[in-house]
Amino acid sequence: MVIGSLATLNLPMVVDLIGIFELKGPYCTLTMTDWFLQALSVIPRGSWGDVARRFTMIRWEVEHFEIREVLRCILHTVLFHRALGLVRPKDVDLELFEITYVQCGDMEVERKIDEKIDQFIDRVEKHPNKKNQICLSFYEVKNKQATWFTNKVERLYWEQWYINLNVAQHPKGHSGKSNYSKIVVGPGDTAAEARTARRAALESSLRDVLFQIIRFVNDKKDHVPPIPNLEGVSFPYEITISSSSDSAFGMDMFKRMLQTGHPSMLS
Amino acid sequence: MDLHSYPRAEHGRFEQILNQFLLKSLHVILDSRVPASSPPSRSVEVRKSDKWFNLVLGDRPAAMESLSFWNRSLMEPMIIDVILVTETQNTLSDHDSLATLGPEMLTETVVERWVVQYEPLRSVAPQIVDASYKKTYKKSIVQLRTIYSMLRLLPAYKAFRKLCSVNRSCHFDINYKVYSFCSPFSREEERSMKKYNFTPVDAQQGRLSVSVIYREDLSDFNLDSGMSCRPEIITDYVGSPLTPPMRAFPSTSSVKGARATSFPIRVRDSTSASPFQRPHSWASGLHRDGYSQQYQAFDLSPPLNRSPYEYSISPTDVQSNRIQTQRLHAYHRSLSDDLLSPPLSSSPSPSPPAYFSAGNPIHTRMHSETAPVSIPHPMLGRSPRYLSPNLSDSSRHSLPPLSPRNTKYDPSPHGSPSGIRSIKKQDSLRAGELCSVPIHLGQKISRDAKEDSGRFSSLQSSNSSPRFGFSRSSSRLSFQDDFGDFDFSCPFIVDDVDSNDFQTSQNLDSANVSEVTSQSSSTVKKSQDVAVGALVHMLKTAPPLRQDSGHYTSYSSEVRPEKEVGTFSDFFKPRKTSDALEELKVYREMKDVLLSRSAARIAGRENTGT
Repeated sequence: MVIGSLATLNLPMVVDLIGIFELKGPYCTLTMTDWFLQALSVIPRGSWGDVARRFTMIRWEVEHFEIREVLRCILHTVLFHRALGLVRPKDVDLELFEITYVQCGDMEVERKIDEKIDQFIDRVEKHPNKKNQICLSFYEVKNKQATWFTNKVERLYWEQWYINLNVAQHPKGHSGKSNYSKIVVGPGDTAAEARTARRAALESSLRDVLFQIIRFVNDKKDHVPPIPNLEGVSFPYEITISSSSDSAFGMDMFKRMLQTGHPSMLS
Repeated sequence: MDLHSYPRAEHGRFEQILNQFLLKSLHVILDSRVPASSPPSRSVEVRKSDKWFNLVLGDRPAAMESLSFWNRSLMEPMIIDVILVTETQNTLSDHDSLATLGPEMLTETVVERWVVQYEPLRSVAPQIVDASYKKTYKKSIVQLRTIYSMLRLLPAYKAFRKLCSVNRSCHFDINYKVYSFCSPFSREEERSMKKYNFTPVDAQQGRLSVSVIYREDLSDFNLDSGMSCRPEIITDYVGSPLTPPMRAFPSTSSVKGARATSFPIRVRDSTSASPFQRPHSWASGLHRDGYSQQYQAFDLSPPLNRSPYEYSISPTDVQSNRIQTQRLHAYHRSLSDDLLSPPLSSSPSPSPPAYFSAGNPIHTRMHSETAPVSIPHPMLGRSPRYLSPNLSDSSRHSLPPLSPRNTKYDPSPHGSPSGIRSIKKQDSLRAGELCSVPIHLGQKISRDAKEDSGRFSSLQSSNSSPRFGFSRSSSRLSFQDDFGDFDFSCPFIVDDVDSNDFQTSQNLDSANVSEVTSQSSSTVKKSQDVAVGALVHMLKTAPPLRQDSGHYTSYSSEVRPEKEVGTFSDFFKPRKTSDALEELKVYREMKDVLLSRSAARIAGRENTGT
């Protein structure tokens, strides 16, 4: 049924909602629903080359000061595996967690990611109650034939990574939220212990995410375009920030599709 | 491989990609698991060979050079075992590195096994694989990146980082093995391990597959244990990376009756002290270099060298120090002369005149070539020749440079003044590094010296080194100035001193001379100790120098102007030849007295000896 719905969509590419992770515990044990992969894989033109991939992470709730490290880690890891030009890998140790991730050693990339993370943090501060999302997209530039409506270059996104983060809004010392249900916090535990447990859970989840990213980038690489002879990030990419009202393919859309089964226009 | 389906060029490309993939994956794994003995060079220019798979890794690790992988068939799997080497439980002891343990005391555990291989088509599910070499190459680029990232997420990476970290003395090691065939893990081992398969890369008539079996939990190996990386207190810390790493530290020989210093002397009973390594805070902690042994055993002397008036050790420390001095024999003998200033090398030279009445450092010093530069002991004055107690001993290099003036007093038999001067210059460079400790030391010693002024009197007529007299006037070293208040009264100046050298003497000297002349007749009859004490007192209380040439006419044998005679003004006064002759006569008399007394003293000391 879902396939039929998607088949009616007028899209140049197939979007796989791969990597929708179910929340299990406070910082989600990431799981992949295999059936979901197969259900949504549609090839409109019968060509593997036109497959696009979209990876969406379940919404996490992190502390304000953890946003930067979590985002840096994830974005750089993805970029390292998609910047297929000549790179000098650079190992970076996270300060808040015992995790080492790899950057592609490009100063421009580092600067751009930091800039976008700053924008995301600003957005989160301004709209703490909205579901904020940061998206890393890789695209190909195709010169579209100019019409008298549009005369611009078309971007064909062949891979998109959606990272959803919320900043924890709980008051200090509060430990009763369901997000922390994985952590058994006794009534006698101090706030510091709860924080430590929370931090350990987040570290474990972040490590799981990195494992998953590594798996996905390796599993799904047929759709990666040919590598141009460039150094560093070989494919054009962009990082966009959106809030819940702007998201086109968030969990909301997915939930709507599952619940209603009606065909939806994918923008 | 089946050559029929693909043109030869294509086939050649596949082989090349496969070969380079094996090499590159081995490079990545060894780089991430085996600590390098030397830091990787990061040159801006990228070699052509390093551009494979668009991943610049730098120089190949030394480990790869020894592997004859070029003889390996591309069809054979490449298996890389990462092995954690730890001590067996029953050998846990306080030792410094795994290198000191025999093979039977080490446990090797495979914590990771990487398998990189080309699987021909017939061994996998038959399917049409459209894999031009370009696509294969592109996918293998991605796969190498994932291998690189995965190496940093697996548990063994933490152990690798521990080994690589500086200043760590870890009780484990990481080794590796590369082979084509290996025995599978036992069931028990498999239960504790997890497997991860990287998505295979389609290649010509087959696929390139990478997998890793790894231990998820390394907590059993106590990698974080305090024993393995316990903090060490470096008692002979030299404080600067600029200090040559292999300096010989003088052992703190015992000086009888000498005061204990404020520096505790740590007696190590470690068994495997490498005599060739000293602990440095900046030294690499890589076990391979044996640096784990460095927190060790060179703690005979209180930490800092170069102290001009080195502390003396309490008699209670004598025994422990002797043990350690003997242990240092090998170390010091092994040190080439370039470590020691040339004039100070080797000879177990007589100790400097020591100004403490107690103690017999002579013998210990004779045993040890690294006798400490201690406060000159009045009983040890062998001859007036040894101006500088520290210079006359092979271990004296650690003393701070003495004033260059002092070198002129050094009699030729035991050292060239020029050589000593060079040492001083060398040492003066280091003087600044040793500011705090020597100063404290000096203060303590000066207090002691003053309290023991009675003992100094015995030096009055001895042939002890006049060094300290000179040092008082020296202002070349800051800490010498700090010690300037000491009364290491070395009352006697040896001859051959050029009076011109005294131009910079302190004001006390001339005043002292004047006082001495007036008391010369009375002090002869006093005991030696009393005389020295009196001299010291006079020196301290003497008024500024006076410009009276008559003061130089006569001297008592006991009284030695610490510095020479005269001030600047005196030398500018016109002097008669007769004055000079008289002065010379006085000096000669003093010299004779000193020589005779020091000889007598030495003889007496040797008889009583420890």
